[in-house]
Amino acid sequence: MTSYIIRRLLYSVPTILGILLVTFVLFNLIPGDPSYELAGKSASAETIADIRHELGFDRPRFLDTEALSQGRIAAAFDSQFFNHFRNALTLNFPRSLTSYEHIWDEIRSRAPASLSLAVPMFVGLVVTSIAIALLVAFVQGTWLDTLLVFICVVGMSIPMLSYILFGQHYLAYELGWFPILGYEPGAQAFKYVALPCLLGIFSGLGSYVRFYRTVMLDEMRNDYVRTAFAKGLSSPRVLFKHVLKNAMIPIITTLVLSIPFLFLGSLLLERFFSIPGMGSYFIDAFNSRDFPVINAMVFMTSLLYVLGQLVTDICYSLVDPRISLR
Amino acid sequence: MSMRNPVILVVAALVIGVVGLTGCGGEGQDQDSDKVVRYLSLSAKVRGMDPMDIGDTTSSSVASQIFECLYQYHYLKRPYELIPCLAADFPTVSEDRLTYTFKLRQDVFFADDPCFTATEGRGRQLVAADFIYAWKRIADVKNVSKNWWVFENYIAGLDEFRAYTGQLKAGENVDYARPVEGLEAPDDFTLVVKLNKTWPQILYLLAHLPTAPVAREAVQHYGKAIHNHPVGTGPYILKDWKRGNKIVMVRNPKFRQELYPSEGAAGDKEAGLLENAGKALPFIDEARWQIVEEDQPRWLIFMRGQLDSSGIPKDFYNRAISPGQELKPEMKKKGIRLQIYRDPSTYWYGFNMEDPVVGSNKPLRQAMSMAINRQEYIEIFTNNRAEAAQGPIPPLFREYDPDAINPNCQYNPERARELLKEAAKVHGGALPAITISTPGADTLARQMGEYVTQAMGNIGLEVKIDYMDWPSFQDRIKTKSAQVFQIGWVADYPDSENFMQLFYSKNVSPGPNNFNYRNPIVDALYEKAKAMPDSDERVQIYHQMEDIIRDDCPAIFLVHGVAFVLHYDWLKNYKPHVFGYGLLKYQNIDLATRRNAVGR
Repeated sequence: MTSYIIRRLLYSVPTILGILLVTFVLFNLIPGDPSYELAGKSASAETIADIRHELGFDRPRFLDTEALSQGRIAAAFDSQFFNHFRNALTLNFPRSLTSYEHIWDEIRSRAPASLSLAVPMFVGLVVTSIAIALLVAFVQGTWLDTLLVFICVVGMSIPMLSYILFGQHYLAYELGWFPILGYEPGAQAFKYVALPCLLGIFSGLGSYVRFYRTVMLDEMRNDYVRTAFAKGLSSPRVLFKHVLKNAMIPIITTLVLSIPFLFLGSLLLERFFSIPGMGSYFIDAFNSRDFPVINAMVFMTSLLYVLGQLVTDICYSLVDPRISLR
Repeated sequence: MSMRNPVILVVAALVIGVVGLTGCGGEGQDQDSDKVVRYLSLSAKVRGMDPMDIGDTTSSSVASQIFECLYQYHYLKRPYELIPCLAADFPTVSEDRLTYTFKLRQDVFFADDPCFTATEGRGRQLVAADFIYAWKRIADVKNVSKNWWVFENYIAGLDEFRAYTGQLKAGENVDYARPVEGLEAPDDFTLVVKLNKTWPQILYLLAHLPTAPVAREAVQHYGKAIHNHPVGTGPYILKDWKRGNKIVMVRNPKFRQELYPSEGAAGDKEAGLLENAGKALPFIDEARWQIVEEDQPRWLIFMRGQLDSSGIPKDFYNRAISPGQELKPEMKKKGIRLQIYRDPSTYWYGFNMEDPVVGSNKPLRQAMSMAINRQEYIEIFTNNRAEAAQGPIPPLFREYDPDAINPNCQYNPERARELLKEAAKVHGGALPAITISTPGADTLARQMGEYVTQAMGNIGLEVKIDYMDWPSFQDRIKTKSAQVFQIGWVADYPDSENFMQLFYSKNVSPGPNNFNYRNPIVDALYEKAKAMPDSDERVQIYHQMEDIIRDDCPAIFLVHGVAFVLHYDWLKNYKPHVFGYGLLKYQNIDLATRRNAVGR
């Protein structure tokens, strides 16, 4: 397995480099020069040019051919392209252009807030939806199955924003069961993330239940399930011991690959409940063309995604003895 | 179902936990009930608190409680009037109006901070060199300051200092001891500023937050992290700042003695705004800002009394205000009060005068301007919280001409259709579709886009709305590639020069003249007026300029903003101010009233 992991990690290198290349190309394609904003609203053309120079936006895009012809090799590679790669691969990202903060400091302070919302929401969503999916699979074809599927479709059709507006107004403001907004770190966080977490679970339940129901039903139709029932095993035993275990492959695929995105937070929930997480940080960075932050976030997320894929493969071999990693 | 089932026990514990943690106690309740706490909200994030880099109103509104300038606006008097703040008095000005001598107050100290290592953390006295240092920081190219425009071309030798910083290679330090001809401190409490040219607006700019003095010790101690460690001379010091979440400030114990004003504008006494006259500032012990970017939660926490004041989001306007623009009785019953005031702002659709279609076709621009029914626009998009514009200068300014009627700003579809025929002749054939660049793609932006499309369609002109985010929009106008663009301007100081610079040919994009408008007569008048001190003659020059601009029609002038703000009756001494930001020191809270109403 060790050689498999090493091989997979080596395969990831071109993937990461490809992502960096695509990010660089995108940065250069999308319009929006942050120098205009950074120069202030009454700035002159000279001031904007000064700022572009200081931030390196006027450096050669790929290679300084003039420096190269003069034999100044280091200067030749002092270009936007190579700096983009250098910053990412050495994890030495410049400060944010808009908040002036070190990106790592921001991530350190914001990731716990995002995770304190996203992790319980994700766990709650997965556990609840698998439980409901098992139930639905067990009662398939009955009125309860039809009703639950109908509720799932209705739930999926309602936008997340509606859940938030309703929950915040009625559950928090009218009934006073939860704080309207806010966030405090530590144990206090639970009080503030409870409502957004519940709303996140409710809004996601429809699609998750439908997906898991399909997975469970596929398994239920297999011969081994029929055999298990024929042997006289109880329904819970068949469902939890056999069906669930065999359905784990697609479940693990979706679960593990979702984990890196928990780090990015939930934009809408964070914005409406004033939770200072990663979601709004990333969106704000994009909206202000804060390239160092976008670069760092894209790189980190792709790194986590690649690692997530590796973990998924390892998990396959753990839950299914037929799979071995070579 | 047995209670011994561990799943049920876990669920029960979770439910008890949720109810226990969320149900117990009020939000943000104060343990120290005598502490005067002001609760505020911010609809955008604070970017940083280094005056050199502050260019947005959100950061200004917070940082100006910590930093102060040489001058400040009188809190109560209207029209807006400057008074000394860190300056002991108004400056002595040389006969040629090129040399200003400022005497500083001698009772001003920086707040205590670990950066003052020589005094073991005790803040030292403010001296004239602190201003020179702060202004050189703005000039230093390496600092990428947002505010170089404040000083550019004005102070003798400062542009040369900037050029020197620009020549330094990476890693080389800027020599801040390098003399600048126009900035001298003959003694600790005298600052002499020599100018390259006359600058009548100088005192307004010296009341502008970026010009606040900064302690060199703080910059050296915190380095780039100075944005998070503001060390100023103002009434408050930063206690806690969780980016994107909240900001807490507490009273600065070293704040000098400053008294609440004893005189104000007409009606202030009757409104109770002089009850604290002559008392030492500040009254509030602690200020807490909650960052709330969405309208609904901000409105809900205000309605629950968790904020002392709030604006009125568009979607909640009808819940608060009656059709007669009065506060609804149920709001009054809650102790909520309404204040209405004019904003120093104008909003428009600007024409790119370098565009081959709209730039050379005055009848087309005039027709488009006449196609919009401004009154209807105000009703639909602002809940009547705006005034129809006749030109760029808003009514708040002395240079505003209340009698001026701009024919291009009158809704006249018949005349617009005639002008469109002329426009086709000027163009030399059928007019192509006109593209309007709009920042934002939210519902309001789209509704406005649809409205304008319909209005132009009504006179027979096809327009396409190009929705985009702010950086793309900036790119479009700064590279002169927008044809027509939707934007506005909010003044930085009460001088119409701030608006008229937008039509000066030397300021074309990427400068602030995004119309790329060029008119030698307007240029000559602008240069003349800009160098003149305030006078009736200067007002006449501005009227002349505005008349020419109205006729040339480089923009569809739409509206001037009118702001509605709500506050609870426990918030005392509250008077909106459109130019000053460091106003918290004047406000007060009637704790007994608030406690009775919301229990805190």
